[in-house]
Amino acid sequence: MTTATSPVTGAPPRWHRLDRRTLLVHCGWLAAPLGSLALTALATGGRIGTGAWITLASIAAAFAVLTAIGSVRWARTDYRVTHDSFEVRSGVLTRRLRSVPLHRIRTVDLTASPLHRLLGVTVLRAGTAGPADGSGDLSLEALTTADAERLRTALLARAGVRATDEDPVVSRIDWRWLRYAPLTFWVVGGVFAAAGGVYRVLDGAGIKPWKLGIVRSAFDEFGARALWVTVPLALLAVIVLGTVGALALYVEGWWKFRLEWTDARTLRVHRGLLTTRSVTIERARLRGVVLREPLLLRAGGGATVRAVAGGLGNKEENRKRSVILPPAPRAEAMRTASGTLRAGFSDAGLREHPRAALRRRRMRGLLFVTVPGTLVLAVLGALLTPVLLHCAWVFALVSVPVVLWLARDAYRNLGHGLDGRYLVARSGTFSRDTVVLQREAVAAWTFSSTPFSRRAGLVTLTAAVAAGEDGYHVRDIPADDAPALAAAAAPGILEEFLAHGPAKPRPDLRRS
Amino acid sequence: MSAPANPLLRPPRNRVDPRARRWWTVQALLTVSGPTLLTALALAVCSVLFFPGALPWLAPLLLVALVLPALGYLLVMPRWRYSVHAWELGSRAVYAAGGWFWQKRRIAPLSRVQTVDTVRGPLQQRFGLATVTVTTASTAGDVKIAGLSDADAEELSRRIGEAAQAVPGDAA
Repeated sequence: MTTATSPVTGAPPRWHRLDRRTLLVHCGWLAAPLGSLALTALATGGRIGTGAWITLASIAAAFAVLTAIGSVRWARTDYRVTHDSFEVRSGVLTRRLRSVPLHRIRTVDLTASPLHRLLGVTVLRAGTAGPADGSGDLSLEALTTADAERLRTALLARAGVRATDEDPVVSRIDWRWLRYAPLTFWVVGGVFAAAGGVYRVLDGAGIKPWKLGIVRSAFDEFGARALWVTVPLALLAVIVLGTVGALALYVEGWWKFRLEWTDARTLRVHRGLLTTRSVTIERARLRGVVLREPLLLRAGGGATVRAVAGGLGNKEENRKRSVILPPAPRAEAMRTASGTLRAGFSDAGLREHPRAALRRRRMRGLLFVTVPGTLVLAVLGALLTPVLLHCAWVFALVSVPVVLWLARDAYRNLGHGLDGRYLVARSGTFSRDTVVLQREAVAAWTFSSTPFSRRAGLVTLTAAVAAGEDGYHVRDIPADDAPALAAAAAPGILEEFLAHGPAKPRPDLRRS
Repeated sequence: MSAPANPLLRPPRNRVDPRARRWWTVQALLTVSGPTLLTALALAVCSVLFFPGALPWLAPLLLVALVLPALGYLLVMPRWRYSVHAWELGSRAVYAAGGWFWQKRRIAPLSRVQTVDTVRGPLQQRFGLATVTVTTASTAGDVKIAGLSDADAEELSRRIGEAAQAVPGDAA
């Protein structure tokens, strides 16, 4: 790593402008309306109606206005790195100078969409230790890739601690993992989402898909053949399409994936084929990891890993940017999680939760799935057609074992424990999530209960951390043990509110 | 379970202002119970005017589905809430209990306190009440104490501010 643009001591460093090609990036929005217009022209055989002319005129007007605004904005935005802060000046009429002390910068990401990469530029985003909604972040759109790399180095070069004795690369892509790509819900859901997208594009271009000859003849064929052949075939087609889509997405998202410690304090994820993503997480802001095992992936023996880190933006951004391992074998996920935490941990031997938790899960499933579904079908059946009455009893008969099985799975997945510096909590059935949280990162404790959970003697403990999803739950633990667990996991928060003198954690709460 | 071995989390010492009950009642009337009762009334009147035949089955349905839940909420929620809501400022942490059906007890250490906000909504102003929110760097760590009297709220926010100053912390 080079340390170019190192701050010049003495004279203040000069201001830099964004790259000129930014202006071209801003024209990218033209692609969608012009493409849709071209499609319309194509579909109507070159005849452009009044509506299309109006659209074209408004696009041209918008283009002129936006380009003018864009150029002025580009000309009025500049940045510099002084010896202690990162400053960005912007604003056309109201000039705004935002200055972020370098020591408050937590993450620096470079993101380039295909358009950016075509033009050789990238977006730089500096995340700070500010509010979780990302309002304290600075982003520059866009810099040349070389400039962005230099700026990132300059921003992160504080008190140069280097030299890690371990292997800095925590994980890198292994294409055998591709077998886990189809094990997501999106294999089926994605096809419908894509079909919806295509329909909307066609609809926007003024084409009614069901009026096209191909579609009509396909539907006629479908109806004419025996349904017991065509329905499974259609299902198979959806699954094949979905699998291909899932593989393509996996390759696009995780091309050249590498998770590494760039120095002792910075973890970096680099990945992507068309859109390259590079996320930097500072170790001081890394509060833990989550091992996620969605139902299908778990059945296939796979897992993904997310980092619990601050400064990754609001909830949605955090969801996208915190992923540090794609669907991969569980052993690899455990290894990555340990490498990220720089500490071994195990999720074996977690404390089980009381049987009351199983009863609650069964009750919930039956009350919220079986009973309403059966009732709705039965009432509709009584009012409309006896076919639905049969549906009702079939639904009741099928959903009971499914609900009971899921409840049992959810119950068996519950577990918690303390492991060295970490609080480990696991829950969930559709996605079994094992949360490994730094104990000293816990900023507050919440005990939640309802009359039902109190009768069952259970309480849900929530650890608040200033990272990731903010609150992480330890669901349905014995109400008697919860205060002791909280006191043992993060001492110094709730002792003075405990009833029986100072908290004495029971010996079996800690695992050796 | 051997009770003496385990420390229990006791409820916070201070209750909120008794006027909070009236505030919650008016709030329930304005947001949930009032609109629900009006809907039931409107449906009943429509039925009487246009479909008198429907009344024998519609009236019990409305009673069970709308009127009783609305009245129950109006009568039960404020009392239940009042019995739950409580707060306490300890030497190292602030502790609050809230909710009614879903109850929440939250403890946040003073060393993590970032800001203390006192909010008085238009309804609260009429009853001389205030809500104090203590924010931390985590949204799951924000402690909200609703239904304090104005004086208590002012006193509490001042004391939390002072205590947070006195306790060394990173606030991040």
